[in-house]
Amino acid sequence: MNRNKKLGLAALGMATAFGLAACGETGATGPAEPASSQYNAAIGGVVKPSDATGGTITFDNSSVPDSTDPGNTYYANQWNVIRLYGRSLVTYKSAPGSAGNQIVPDLATSLGQVSANGLTWTYHLKPNVKYEDGTTVTSKDVKYAVERSYAKDVLPNGPGYFSLLLEDPNYPGPYKDKSPGKLGLTSVDTPNSTTIVFHLQKPFADFDFVVALPQTIPVPPAKDKGANYQLHPVSTGPYKFQSYQLDKQFTLVKNPNWDAATDPNRKQLASRFVFNLNVNADTIDNNLIHGFADVDVAGTGVQAAARSEILSDPQLRNNADNALSGFLWFTYINSKVKPLDNVHCRRAIQYAADKTAYQTAYGGPIAGGQIASTVLTPNIVGYKKFDLYEATTQPHGDLAKARQELSTCGQPNGFSTTMAFRSDRPKEKATATAQQEALSRVGIRLTLQGYPSGKYFTNFAGVPNYVHQHDLGLAIGGWAPDWPDGYGMLYYVTAGPAIQEAGNTNISELDNPTVNGLFDKAVATKDASARNQIWSQIDRKVMEEAVILPGVYAKSLLYRSPDLTNVFVHNYYAMYNYSTLGMK
Amino acid sequence: MGSPAAREMLEVKELRIHFPTEDGLVRAVDGLSFSVDRGQTLGIVGESGSGKSVTSLGILGLHQGTRAQVSGEIWLDGENVVRAPAGRVRQLRGSKVAMIFQDPLSSLHPYYTVGNQIIEAYRIHNHVSKKAARAHAIEMLDRVGIPQAATRVDDYPHQFSGGMRQRAMIAMALSCDPELLIADEPTTALDVTVQAQILDLISDLQDEFGSAVIIITHDLGVVAELADDVLVMYAGKAVEYGSADEVFQHPGHPYTWGLLASMPRLDRDRQERLDPIAGTPPSLIQLPAGCAFHPRCAYAALNGGRSEREVPALRETAPRHLTACHLPLWERRRIRAESVTPPADDPGLVPGEGAR
Amino acid sequence: MITFIVRRLIVTVFLLLVVSMITFAIFFLVPRLAGQTSFELASQYVGRNPSPAAVRAVEQKLGFDQPLVVQYGRFVKGIVVGAHYDAGPDRTYCPPPCFGYSFRNQQPVWPMLMSNVPVTASLAFGAAVLWLAGGISIGVLSALRRGTVFDRGAMGVALAGVSLPIFFTGLIALQLFSYKWPVFPDLHYVPFTENPIAWARNLVLPWTTLAFLYAALYARLTRAGMLETMNEDYIRTARAKGVPERTVIVKHGLRAALTPIVTIFGLDIGLLLGGAVLTEFTFSLHGLGLFTILAIQNSDLPEILGVVMLTAFFVVIANLIVDILYAVVDPRVRY
Repeated sequence: MNRNKKLGLAALGMATAFGLAACGETGATGPAEPASSQYNAAIGGVVKPSDATGGTITFDNSSVPDSTDPGNTYYANQWNVIRLYGRSLVTYKSAPGSAGNQIVPDLATSLGQVSANGLTWTYHLKPNVKYEDGTTVTSKDVKYAVERSYAKDVLPNGPGYFSLLLEDPNYPGPYKDKSPGKLGLTSVDTPNSTTIVFHLQKPFADFDFVVALPQTIPVPPAKDKGANYQLHPVSTGPYKFQSYQLDKQFTLVKNPNWDAATDPNRKQLASRFVFNLNVNADTIDNNLIHGFADVDVAGTGVQAAARSEILSDPQLRNNADNALSGFLWFTYINSKVKPLDNVHCRRAIQYAADKTAYQTAYGGPIAGGQIASTVLTPNIVGYKKFDLYEATTQPHGDLAKARQELSTCGQPNGFSTTMAFRSDRPKEKATATAQQEALSRVGIRLTLQGYPSGKYFTNFAGVPNYVHQHDLGLAIGGWAPDWPDGYGMLYYVTAGPAIQEAGNTNISELDNPTVNGLFDKAVATKDASARNQIWSQIDRKVMEEAVILPGVYAKSLLYRSPDLTNVFVHNYYAMYNYSTLGMK
Repeated sequence: MGSPAAREMLEVKELRIHFPTEDGLVRAVDGLSFSVDRGQTLGIVGESGSGKSVTSLGILGLHQGTRAQVSGEIWLDGENVVRAPAGRVRQLRGSKVAMIFQDPLSSLHPYYTVGNQIIEAYRIHNHVSKKAARAHAIEMLDRVGIPQAATRVDDYPHQFSGGMRQRAMIAMALSCDPELLIADEPTTALDVTVQAQILDLISDLQDEFGSAVIIITHDLGVVAELADDVLVMYAGKAVEYGSADEVFQHPGHPYTWGLLASMPRLDRDRQERLDPIAGTPPSLIQLPAGCAFHPRCAYAALNGGRSEREVPALRETAPRHLTACHLPLWERRRIRAESVTPPADDPGLVPGEGAR
Repeated sequence: MITFIVRRLIVTVFLLLVVSMITFAIFFLVPRLAGQTSFELASQYVGRNPSPAAVRAVEQKLGFDQPLVVQYGRFVKGIVVGAHYDAGPDRTYCPPPCFGYSFRNQQPVWPMLMSNVPVTASLAFGAAVLWLAGGISIGVLSALRRGTVFDRGAMGVALAGVSLPIFFTGLIALQLFSYKWPVFPDLHYVPFTENPIAWARNLVLPWTTLAFLYAALYARLTRAGMLETMNEDYIRTARAKGVPERTVIVKHGLRAALTPIVTIFGLDIGLLLGGAVLTEFTFSLHGLGLFTILAIQNSDLPEILGVVMLTAFFVVIANLIVDILYAVVDPRVRY
């Protein structure tokens, strides 16, 4: 072609390049965003619903998954990712708002059928659900997967509910199982290839939540590689593993043997999912804003620098959602360490604490969360709002009432105790300092003691002996439930039987017969709505005992790439739901 | 005194080399004039700081591009080095005029073989193949008396003994057959026995190549061995300049007397103390007014203050013998006869061997 | 020379052994002396809210209940002979050198280390080329133009380069050239064997960031060395021979001034091969440096031991090469 044409094309090329670069800057030259893409639009609603297929969705992770093996993982974000390549017996509904707390059938045809005495739970598998290689899923595969959860030497990370609840707690795991086919777990029966029966030690009405855990994602015994299974778990979901470079990246591609007809909770839209691991956290935020990545896997929100950039730019703000992150940040008030063994002294702390300062220490209303007055968080099934100690009405504290409680408990001039916190968590440190200041207003003198977070529960605050010896009257902590009801939120924090010698999470050492009785009643109550009434009763009793000082219902600022479709915040995972995402 | 040439090889006229420093202007060379002919040897004598080395570097044009202020004329075979462009001066270095230095260990590059350095010197000024240059280097090493030159050519400087090293440097300097060789303290760093060998070598090579030689030294014995002419420098100026015979037999300047007297001699009683010149060399920034030597001169008082006011000019006091002193000649002769030990009949210092 | 090298290699083996012992002691012995039980140690590697039985299972699996000497012995044996690991349904074998299996994900450490080496090597050597070329030439020019505006300016920039931390210059570079102006957008490491152009393009920013720091150092070093060398007598001799000034500077001056720089370069490269920690962290490059940080954060002893010994090995070998080079560069040095 002649010279002028070449120059013209070159100029055109350059202009295009600059234009594209400008388009990389959010929204500067692109078309106006539709009304559905507004700030917080993904909370309670679906942003950009679409069935368009194709594209690569890029996930950035600031660390690595604890494991990609469904039998060996214990983090909500990884459980969210697993739904892309694994189907459990039941799962959470993929819907925005409180509908997301609902358990719906996944591999099973319906929720568990419970026997009259509450000890037997039966599930029927949908016929002809296939693995990525075309073989059919059988009930034996589900049983084998559950058995894997007992092999704590090889797969130590996952939850331990099955060994706790089922009849055969001493099963040694399939790798030490001598029976043929390695299906020696006696508390699980597989009468035929589509039926599986669980035998519990005691009634447990929440068992459907337990079965929703990734540990029921089927594993074909012939393909099990133990600790190496994580490199390529066999998929029952819409995507399967293409490659995995440990600690660097893994890629998922479409699973041709996935059948959308049996799976309303997932979509197979994008061609590929790429997961980049160990990416610097600030880089992730920049990648999101500039379109080099689509999702931050951790789902705990952007860092401080990006937060201010996003909130101050109207275009960027439209792509953000300030969602509840599922955590309650709170402080344990120990019920055995003097003088806190007297409930009035504990209540004095409830009145004297500065709730606004607590919120500020965690990052304020957007990055920290909402001031809390209950242990159950608002997105939990059974939550009822109440406020016994004026946390929301007098957020700086009610010193008069605090002093009243102090006189009642015999310490009119206050008292001294020690507050434990995790020294490598700046927010906890800031909280400790703030509450030390706040409580000193009524004469409660706190000594602050920091501990490394890796040993906080195993060696220090989680060891009752240590707590007593070192006068740790207060301990900062937090909790997110393994499933979104009162049991998941409350049991391990407030139930008497949950107290352990080490690794204790009922740090307040509450062993209240009323509370314990309510838990027993709840797990025996088959009717869901009746059961869900009980959670709030426990919550209220716990607050009356004043063993938990609630801080904030945690919130985080999430950012969604404008190229993503079908984006909504899932109530239980408390981040964007990953199993339905597509690319524009 | 050698065959007459069309003109002299080197002629220095009123050379001034000043260095501006933070403390003031250093007058390292302050009005120096002398000449050297082909086949002749000039010995430049003086204490440290008298300006000898600066002069020699000036002849090679090595002050160009530095902060030194050079004025006067240096006529090298008819070319004024002071005015010549840098490229031309660089061409002359090594080919027309070459220099050997006091410490051959530090003056030869430790990382390159002796052969490599000689070859480099040769190939800068001659377009020859590496092979031919190498052959020439071996030949030069052989000429300067290094045994097994063909193997030694690949040795590094630190693998030679002191005397051999100096020979190698001489070989390098002479590799391009320069017409003027400047030797700056060539034997100072060497043993006495080796000294004599090196001096012999220089003398032989001069005979062979017919080059002019300038020997810079503070050692009068060396000068006596080799020099035809002697130039005594003090504080940047010439104080005495003449043929070696004249200067040694009839030294005409109190400084020269002091130099001669302060030498250790074989015929003196061992217990006798050496007779140094009193005082120290002056600062070249703050030169004494008048005659630069007057603070140390035992006879300055005889001048009625003239030495403190007036710089003495270099004047001919005998044929081919110039001195710069205010004292009248007869006065000096008298002093010499009376109070200074005459060296005339001294066997340890007879000019003649190697000198002409 | 050969005996020298052989002796050095033998010493290297002992040195690595000592390094491994010290590292082992720091992470295993010291906590034990401070009162930590093997049960408490095992609970670090279990996951959230573990039951005591789970912790005990891990404790046994990872061998914490064995005496320290036995644990250390198993580690050394693995390096020499290889080790077997019970991965569940089958036993895997990791051939020598086997640095054990990660506590975190039960995967063999050596392949993980090796997969990180190309990244760190790419980063280190690429930056080295830049900083040597840049630093040395600026140092030479500065020395030759001592006191001029160029010299003062260059040394000022060098001071900035040496003083500014990499996480600062790196972040600024990223902000400007990756995000604000997409000159190098969407940085991801691409192996050289896969696409050399993309490999280079993705490394330009980390290279320049890292090289800026070192170039500054080397410029100052070269300048000082040149100033010293150019005052040497042999420079005067070279000029007196009529050698052109450029040759005097490079062949005579720089050659001599480079000797200390060779030493320092060897040490720098040796350490850098162990992981340019800050640069890798800032640019999310999966090299040995990032690997080290994560291993320490996770208290994953096999990974820590592996990377520490690998780094020590690189440093020792780099030192050996430098010493050999010294003999090559400076003929006065002989072993």
